[in-house]
Amino acid sequence: MIKDSVLLVLFLLACSCMVFGQGRTIKGTISDENSKQPVAGATIVVKGARISATADANGAFTISAPTDRVTLVISSVGFAPKEITAEAGQSLTITLATDTRQLGEVVVTALGITRQSKTLVYAAQTVAPSQLTGVRSTDNFLGSLSGKAANVQFTQGSGGLGSGAILILRGNRSIAPPSSGNSANPNNALIVVDGVPINNTTFATGNNDFGSLQSSDGASDINPDDIESMTVLRGASAAALYGSQAGNGVIVVTTKKGHKGRTDVIVNSGIGFERPFALPQFQNSYGQGNGGVIASDSSQSGASWGAKMQGQSYVDFLYKRNTYSPHPDNIKKFFKTGLSLNNSVGVSMGGDKSQSYFSYTNNYAKGIIPHNDLNRHIFDYRITSELNKKFTVDAKATYILQIINGKPRTGEENAPVFDVYQQPRQISYEEASQNFQTFDAFQIAHPANWASTNNSIYQSPYWMTNNTSITENRERAIGFASLKYNITPWLSVRGSANLDRTSDEIQQKYQQGTLLWNTNAGGSYAVTDVVMTNKWLDAIFEGRNDLAKDLKINYHAGVIYYDRLYANNTASTNGLNVINKFSLNFASNPATTQDGSEILTESVFGQASIGWRDAIFLDGSFRTDWASPLPAPHTFNYPSLGLSVLLSELVALPKSMSFLKVNANYAKVGNGGIPYITSATYQYDQGAGNGSIQRSPTYPIPNLKPEQVTSYEFGVDARFINDRIGFTATYYHANSKEQLVPIPLPVATGYATQYINAGNFENHGLEITINGSPIKTRDFTWDVQLNFSLNRNKIVELTPELKQFYLGGADARSGQPEVAKGGAFGDLYGYVWATNSKGQYIVNSDGTPLTTNKVTGADLSFLGNGNARELLGMTNTFQYKRFSLNFLIDGRIGGILLSGTEMNLSFSGITKNTLAFREGGLNFHGVDVNGAPVDKAITAQQFWTTASLQRYGAGQFFTYSATNIRMREFSFGYDIPVKNTTIIKSLRLSAVARNLFWIVRGKSVFDIPGIGKRTLWMDPDMSNGNGLFQGVEYGALPSTRTLGFNLKANF
Amino acid sequence: MKRKNKIYLLPLLGLLVFTQSCTKNYKDVNTNKNAIATIGPSTLPFLFTHAEDVATVNAGNYQVAQNLFADQYCQYFACEATYFGSDRLVINQNWVGANFNPYYTDVLPQLQTIFANTDSTSAQHAMAEVVWVLAFMKVTDYWGPIPYFSAGSVATSVPYDPQDKIYADFFHRLDGAIAVLNTHKGENAFGSYDIIYGGDVTKWLKFANSLRLRLALRVSKADPTTAKAEAEASVAGGVMTASPADDAFIARSSTGGDVNGLSIMSDWNEFRMSATMASVLKGYQDPRISQYFLPTDKSGDPTPGKFANYAGLRNGLSVAQQTQPQNLAAANSHQGARWSSTSVTVGGTIVGLASYTNTPQNVMETAESYFLRAEGALLGWNMGGSAQSLYESGIRNSMAQWGITGAAVDTYIASANTPVAPGDFLNSPAVSNVPIAWSADPNVQLQQIMTQKWLALYPDGMEAWADWRRSHVMKLYPAANSDNVLIPDPSVKWLRRIPFLTTERQNNPDGVATGVSALGGTDNELVPLWWDKNP
Repeated sequence: MIKDSVLLVLFLLACSCMVFGQGRTIKGTISDENSKQPVAGATIVVKGARISATADANGAFTISAPTDRVTLVISSVGFAPKEITAEAGQSLTITLATDTRQLGEVVVTALGITRQSKTLVYAAQTVAPSQLTGVRSTDNFLGSLSGKAANVQFTQGSGGLGSGAILILRGNRSIAPPSSGNSANPNNALIVVDGVPINNTTFATGNNDFGSLQSSDGASDINPDDIESMTVLRGASAAALYGSQAGNGVIVVTTKKGHKGRTDVIVNSGIGFERPFALPQFQNSYGQGNGGVIASDSSQSGASWGAKMQGQSYVDFLYKRNTYSPHPDNIKKFFKTGLSLNNSVGVSMGGDKSQSYFSYTNNYAKGIIPHNDLNRHIFDYRITSELNKKFTVDAKATYILQIINGKPRTGEENAPVFDVYQQPRQISYEEASQNFQTFDAFQIAHPANWASTNNSIYQSPYWMTNNTSITENRERAIGFASLKYNITPWLSVRGSANLDRTSDEIQQKYQQGTLLWNTNAGGSYAVTDVVMTNKWLDAIFEGRNDLAKDLKINYHAGVIYYDRLYANNTASTNGLNVINKFSLNFASNPATTQDGSEILTESVFGQASIGWRDAIFLDGSFRTDWASPLPAPHTFNYPSLGLSVLLSELVALPKSMSFLKVNANYAKVGNGGIPYITSATYQYDQGAGNGSIQRSPTYPIPNLKPEQVTSYEFGVDARFINDRIGFTATYYHANSKEQLVPIPLPVATGYATQYINAGNFENHGLEITINGSPIKTRDFTWDVQLNFSLNRNKIVELTPELKQFYLGGADARSGQPEVAKGGAFGDLYGYVWATNSKGQYIVNSDGTPLTTNKVTGADLSFLGNGNARELLGMTNTFQYKRFSLNFLIDGRIGGILLSGTEMNLSFSGITKNTLAFREGGLNFHGVDVNGAPVDKAITAQQFWTTASLQRYGAGQFFTYSATNIRMREFSFGYDIPVKNTTIIKSLRLSAVARNLFWIVRGKSVFDIPGIGKRTLWMDPDMSNGNGLFQGVEYGALPSTRTLGFNLKANF
Repeated sequence: MKRKNKIYLLPLLGLLVFTQSCTKNYKDVNTNKNAIATIGPSTLPFLFTHAEDVATVNAGNYQVAQNLFADQYCQYFACEATYFGSDRLVINQNWVGANFNPYYTDVLPQLQTIFANTDSTSAQHAMAEVVWVLAFMKVTDYWGPIPYFSAGSVATSVPYDPQDKIYADFFHRLDGAIAVLNTHKGENAFGSYDIIYGGDVTKWLKFANSLRLRLALRVSKADPTTAKAEAEASVAGGVMTASPADDAFIARSSTGGDVNGLSIMSDWNEFRMSATMASVLKGYQDPRISQYFLPTDKSGDPTPGKFANYAGLRNGLSVAQQTQPQNLAAANSHQGARWSSTSVTVGGTIVGLASYTNTPQNVMETAESYFLRAEGALLGWNMGGSAQSLYESGIRNSMAQWGITGAAVDTYIASANTPVAPGDFLNSPAVSNVPIAWSADPNVQLQQIMTQKWLALYPDGMEAWADWRRSHVMKLYPAANSDNVLIPDPSVKWLRRIPFLTTERQNNPDGVATGVSALGGTDNELVPLWWDKNP
């Protein structure tokens, strides 16, 4: 209280220092004709005199008038200039019309600071909210960014509805290991809502093929209906003010608030239907069995290497006589038609002094996995209020309640997707789905016999979806209160307090009889409570001054206090004394664990931008952080500097060129590291005796240093023919150094790993956006937007002690992504077909390939890189009278995807690629280890079982080019005419679709002699999880095709 | 303008106040509240528990350290899973590292901390020494030279030491520990934190002597002089003599990371009784068969002793052979009921136990000491009895260990039964013709001792494989197929060791180089270890 009072007094003192009104003046306020929002920073010039003024944050200005009657020229970027004749002493209310030339687009940058885009020294791309709410991405609104902004790579995790995802801007740069509470990819872009980074962590994700529980991330529960504007800040420079987390770029989201003098009610209602878009390609010719013979005991050998399915009689997995014939849809039918219902109402009200916005949104979605559904309620309330001329208050509270049922596990183990793929080809959906369990005398369910390729790992998917239950209940409260005080017309201070608290309760229930997790009788149960609390307090001074004629400065200085708390309490029991009673009360082996961490960061920053004649802008920032994970003095600094020159204001350009800007910048940002690694710790384990204590196998790093990203960027922004055509190009170059790397130590030291700061990862690339309006008439317009980017990554240096660092995928089942000096981030390594020094393929004496995993100690071979080389997106929008048509084509070029799913299914003769050479005749004409020719023909079964080895195979055979281009989005809308007399202002109905069809698809990389190349069947947008383990899919969920309708009414 | 300057100072003033109070509590913030920062007297016993837990191959490592390698190479079990190549003699180094890494990260630091914090004349210190030997014996017996004398200090490279030097140190440590334990007889150390003997020092003394006896026989061909001296000292000092009282079993829990490692694999169905086990147990009409294994589910008859209902498969079957009906998991014998979950049924009846995950795990048992002494007696050492009496006591103690006593044991010992053809998919002949009843032929006697020891060691494949490589007396079937290019014919060549780990070659290349030179310049599966003097 004392501190606050002191500050208040200081402010009042400051105010009394200001003296206004010497002689004749004219006062006024300037607002936007459309939005009624004040136009801050508008310039007011007295025509014919060297007198000018700038409007303050409320659009107010005072200007001295040299004569009784003057002509004022009012200009502001983004608005058409206006001339007004005024009398001295008069009070004016001026409205400005939007400049159709769109030159002065205003963007929201870091910390909620609004800037005119022409002054920006870095690339910033805005995405209209309508592009997020049109064709929705069901799982995560960030998925809607694909193709709509340059250099955005979005990958969805496989945990079903609401599952965590990754959004990467400008390539990967960090291998920071998962820290307590966050397993999400460390290259994930920072998501900032209303000036403050939100919690976007994922506490559990799979980092290998085995799979895992995949939890939600923080971005997935943001409601796109509440978004007013969104800016993609790709570079470190743009984001320098966010410091440690901003090296990956930032998605800046500003949410809606009420507007002065206007009441709007927007009701949006949408429905969508989803079907799997990319499923493995199954063969439908051969059924269950071995060596071309129908399995004698169907419950035991589940592979589909049997006889040709011709309606023969056989004994099925239930020991019943059945018909041996194909059921091509037995997997397709497993997947339900997903449904998503989206209903929201937003009310925006505004008086002169106080405006408010309230919205309620309900998302209900049923996933394609049976019993997977999501129900989300979002309440959002915001109030902005002008207490008096000096004080304004802005406050918001968002409450989110989200319940997800039936989350599928990712990967292979206890994962329904893998389970269903593994059923033999002659099983019908009806038989499988109706006969998965039997009940005993006590009404306890037991798994029925099941024909699967591996009965100890894969279970009936219907047992899994009916008798396993993973639920995630999330409560989240996000809120802020911010008070702004205008000290003088040119200096203000704003203090904000923000809270983002997410509380998840994850319950896992595995009924008795479920494989793998239930090692004890009765079933197993776990309940995990995860609480993540982000506290953010800031105080920011904002000012602007004219330093001299033609020289203006605006600046910010502030302090930030940021505290992140994570707590995880898990109580579990492997075994229940009362069968299938999922409560800890019935636990036969209760176990509890507690985990938690805290990171505290305090920062001081300053930023200034100097503009000369509104044509040259010099921008600089400096920030100092004190981060708790670092050793004393806990501190590090990072600067940024940039320049933007509007050549079109300085030199005469050809007439066709209406605007030309060039910019350059340099920035450094740091990352404060992860907690608790500067000293040794000992962990306690519950177990036999009194439990035991072990020393952490990680050698501490007492001299931990922050990671650093150093980047520079050049950009050009040109517009032609009265801005009908716009073109931007940005070249960027970023080096990430002092990476926090857990390197392996020789274990004989007593430690397995050691953290070090090392490495130099380089990303550089080019981003081009082109937009234009090829046709623009009164009734018909055609707009095109094209985004293109390329990124090149190089591991310049790792550390002398370490040749490569694995990004997950232990045991090289199919492949391991890694980082190695001279390579690129996410290079995939796996086993291959062995060749001799002459390059000849080595075969075993029976004619099967000799794969390198059969050679003890053989090194893994390079298979390709998992990241896209180029990304592109093209949006076409047609508007004819009341009709609009919009479609987005996007894609990626380059990079590979390794399909562990296909590897595993090929072993069992399930996939289409196993059809050729079923009856034999595949002769590779290879050589033996001594180079002697081997002339032996083999069967498809021999080949694919050797190549895939089921779960630990040679990845080379299952590697695809991930290049793909697709019709990503399509929408067709109609503005229903409404009479002026009704309360409805506008009404719009649209039909929308997402993931319609492939236009281009890659092929398998390895041309298997005699078999050839196959076409990419899986969707590279889907990944097992959202950690560092990328480029390999192993039982990833199929992506979906959405068809839907949307009705939007504005009252 | 002057007045404006004053206002410029405002932000600076604010920042000054802020930075003053900034980092005071950072140390507290950056302390993990759910972990321990330092080890003191009250936490030291927990380290001993952990060292015991990991030194005896705990659940997290059991499959990849032991089951996929030693257990299959000594032919207790044969592999059912098509995706594991180890039974066809291909060593996946990603897995076998589980018999290397944990000893250095989870046993060594704990024991070195105990050494540093206890008096060298204390029982605690001596017990930690015994656990040390128990642990590193498992490591060196897979690889030969290993990082040893320099292990435990942080460096970028740790040299490997030759196996003979390591064994010399084992004896040195055990000799010292036994001397110390002798001064603490009847006392208790570590109490309930010792999850093998509950802190009973007298039992630890017997265990230490028995372990020393095991080592003595291991080096009996490489260093006969030391072997004789150490073996005789052990017997004189008092080895285990009565099962089950003297047997070393480690407690396992029903939850957490230290459940019984064999039990945890019950429902995975990735391995089954080997044809070798089937040949011997069925041929001998051995009553232990119903303890070691379960009848096949297909038999529908869980009656113990119905030998026809047990089935095993040959080691090293090809994928095509593995997927034949006769070789499937359901058609072959699962490990015994004590390691079976309640989802394991025979003929529709649940035979597994609810408590199967906390079945105590074999560490070293009395029967082994008798067989070690019997072998020593054949070598002419003073083992406190004749080879025959020690052999027969070995059988009696092994039977007693599994709860089999009385006339059945006498009948068994007197039986002239020999192994039979196991009736497997490959129609294999009997694995050998060695009878149970003590033979007059000294060559057969040794085979008898080794065969019975192999049976008695079950399911400790780690010791059984080392013992087989060392002695090479007991007959095993050659692997049906070899995917290992170095072993084109498994009937003439066999795996002698595990090649140095890929991770070690990457992370400790200089160390591995010293290991390769200690091996004589070649690092592969065919190089015999120092104590392996077989041709």
